[in-house]
Parts: sequence; structure tokens; C-alpha cells
Amino acid sequence: MTSASKRALVTGGSAGLGAASVGWLQANGYEIVVLDRDRPWTGKTPVQFIRCDLASRTELDDVLPDLIAAGPYDLVLLNAGINATGKFEALDPRAHIDILRVNTEAPMVIAAALLESNACRSGGAMVFVSSLSHFTGYPGAASYAASKDALAIYARSMRKYAASRGVTLTVAFPGPLKTDHAERHSPEGADDSKRMDPDHAARLILADALAGKKSSIPGAGNRVFAVIGRVFPKPVTAVMRRLIYTRLKP
Amino acid sequence: MIGAKPRRILITGGNSGLGLALAQKLARRHSLLLSGRKSQTEVAEILPPGAGYVVADHGDPEMSARALVRGVRDFGWDGLDNAVLNAGTGFVAVGGVDSTDAIRQTLDVNLLAVMLQAQALYPLLRKSSGTLSLIGSVAHKGSASIPAYAASKAGLHGLARALRSEWSGDISVQVLHPGPAKTDMHDKAGYDPGRMRALFLAPDDVAAMMASAIAARRSPVTLSWVKYLNGGAYTGRRL
Repeated sequence: MTSASKRALVTGGSAGLGAASVGWLQANGYEIVVLDRDRPWTGKTPVQFIRCDLASRTELDDVLPDLIAAGPYDLVLLNAGINATGKFEALDPRAHIDILRVNTEAPMVIAAALLESNACRSGGAMVFVSSLSHFTGYPGAASYAASKDALAIYARSMRKYAASRGVTLTVAFPGPLKTDHAERHSPEGADDSKRMDPDHAARLILADALAGKKSSIPGAGNRVFAVIGRVFPKPVTAVMRRLIYTRLKP
Repeated sequence: MIGAKPRRILITGGNSGLGLALAQKLARRHSLLLSGRKSQTEVAEILPPGAGYVVADHGDPEMSARALVRGVRDFGWDGLDNAVLNAGTGFVAVGGVDSTDAIRQTLDVNLLAVMLQAQALYPLLRKSSGTLSLIGSVAHKGSASIPAYAASKAGLHGLARALRSEWSGDISVQVLHPGPAKTDMHDKAGYDPGRMRALFLAPDDVAAMMASAIAARRSPVTLSWVKYLNGGAYTGRRL
């Protein structure tokens, strides 16, 4: 487990679930490459940092060769994501565009490029961070929901190809976390005590990924939610509307 | 339905494939505005009589949304009873993996353009308590031969689920997932279905199922053999 030669790539590794994952991976002997818009803000052990705003196609095209050259990776965590909450019609169209670019297009492009160029070691794992919203409707974040659904299905569609390269694909469906991201996009006065600690979520997701599982829903409560959301999609979406959409700031 | 009022219906990608089949089915009873990438003169002979046409290239999502709104206004409509966002593209992933360009183009045309069009058409649909129909695909659950396409259609599914809830009471939002039809989509995508093609449904039958699903306003609806064998192309509501 703790051989120094293992390498991991974490996109969006400077904060939230990404930063928590970097911490866990370093503790388990991985050398880390972080791709992010912002510099990593902590870290006793240094990481190799690649700066890129994934909303920009040209920036991603510029760093793709570096990303491939920084491999080969034993683990790739495609975690970078953004959200914008509000009434769909009232949000700036630019927000919808950026969400789709960062949450869907960029991880798809990176995954395809890494797999095709053999930048993932055989026996390695790749994780796509989707969202628990995949199991329900998410009124108040329609473009986010679309972006995360698309990513989950892309991962599922690529599983066969990845397997031919010896790489397992895991889709993570984390629920609300105690991160700045969740803080920004939940209704005012929402109870944050039920949100999961990102370190805990990172540990569970990475364990599932290293075990080669197809999906990872961290937390028993979230797994129950996913099942109920699948069996009763309409009532669960109605609950989401009441809990989130109707409470959003106008 | 006898006595039902003619509707003002916008169909994107209405100059070929399922969009055209649907337009031909609805042209007699309803007022149609179709959109496509080709120029007016290229499609003049194909379009059903009386249908309006506006050029909107989904390859540029923002511009396509603006073009549709302008097209509706120039056609003299102040509202929309139905918007059928049907235009789509697809590429077979050569060797099992989509190129960067294929990923970007597929997402732009199939998902981002639809998002921005839905947003731009919102006031028009709301004004006439209209119905927004997104055309997905049975591939929305995943497909190894067309990963980016499957992803884009899954995105539409998620978008429709969220918007159906957000706009409930104002606009009916639905997503329809047709199965493979005998259109030229597969040739354009670089895919030869071979003998499998015999199993594809006729575009006209799929269009009939689309029309009744649009009239029923339910979501999500899968339009494939199961529905067809249950008489889906001949029974159900009429639009």
C-alpha cells in the first residue's frame, strides 16, 4: 500500500473533497499531481501542481500534454466541479456553459486522453465524481444535475474500453459535504450537521475505487436515499423541490 | 382531437430524420416552425407546405438559442404552445474512445444548445402554458459504442427531471427517449448497423409515438419496440 512509486492525479485538488482526497492519498504513500484553478492552500508534503481553469477549452488543450507526461497514474480522481443554484431561467447563461464545461466536458476529455495515451497504469483506477442528485431530480440546479448525470453515464459507457487497458472505472455519488461548495449552494439556514465530513467521504470513495467497485455512494443514509430516489423518482423530486428550490433566494 | 385548436409548434432539426417525420405528421393540423443547419433554399423542397423555417446551427449553442427566438418573433408568434428540441448529432467512437473534438461537438449540439434554447424560449412557452419536449435516446443509460452521445442524452434526462419540477404549473417539461429509427443518423455518425437495421422502427411510426407522448405531457417516455408493439403508433392521444 505504501510504496513510494504510486502516483495519483486529482483534479480540483485544492479544496473540498479533492483536498481531502489528496490528504488521504499522501498518507497512503502516493505522489500527487493536482490540477486546479487555484493553488493548493495547505499540505505538508508538496504536490506537483498544474494550473488550469477547466471552463476554458484552450487552457485544457494547453495542459493536456503535461497532464499525460506527469503520469503514468495508478489513480485518477476526476473531482473538479462547480455549481450554480437558482431558477434555471434566471441564471446567467454563462453559468450553464461553465458548469457543463467543468463538470462534464473536461473530465470526459481528460479521461479519454489519459486512457488513449496509456497514461493510466494497468491495474489502476479512475474515479468520476458525479453526485447523489443522479438518483433524483434536482430542481434549483438543473444544469448541475444534467452535468453530473452525463458524467455518470459517460463513465458507465467507457467501462469496457478502460477495462481493455486494465483500468477500473468507479463513479462516486457523494451527497452533501461539509465544504465551501455545499455551503454556497444550499438554502440559507440549512442544517449542515447532516452533511458528511469530506475526509470521511474521500476515504470511503477511494477505498471503493481501489477495490475496483463500479460505484461508490459514501454513507449509509445516502445509499438509502439513492434507493428511494430510484424507486420513487417523482415523490423524491417533489421533496427536493420543497427542501431546496422553494427556499432559494429569489 | 376534433375541435382542438391548432398549435404553434417549434421543432428543431425539423429538416431531416425524426424531426421531419414529426413535422409531416403535424403539418396538416398545426402551425409549424422548423429549424436546421441548412439554408432555406437547400431545404425548401423537403419541408411540409406552410411550415416556416429558421437557420439555427447547434454547433454554436448561444447563437442557436438567439436564432430560434428571433425566428419565432419573425414568424409573427408571440408565444409557443410546443417546443420540440429534437436536433442532435452523434459520432461513433472509433476504437472505443471519442476524440476531444467529438466530445465537445456532441455535448455542444445535444446538450448545451438545448439548455440555452430552453432558457431562451422560456418566456414564449410560459406565455401560452406550453410544453417543452426534449428528445433524448434509449442510449441515455449508457452505450460503449457511443459514449459521448450517451452522456449527452443522459444530461438531457437530468435536465428534464429538474426543469419539470422547477417549471411545474407554468410549462410542462418532458423527455422522450426514442429507440433507433430508419433515419440517416447512423450513416452520419459513421455507424453501419448492417442487418440490425431491419429491426429499426420506421421514422413515421416513431414520430406518431412522439406526437402522442407530446400530447400526453408525461415524462420520461421511452419510444421503442415495447411501446410500438403495444400499439403506441396507432393509439393514445392525438396532438
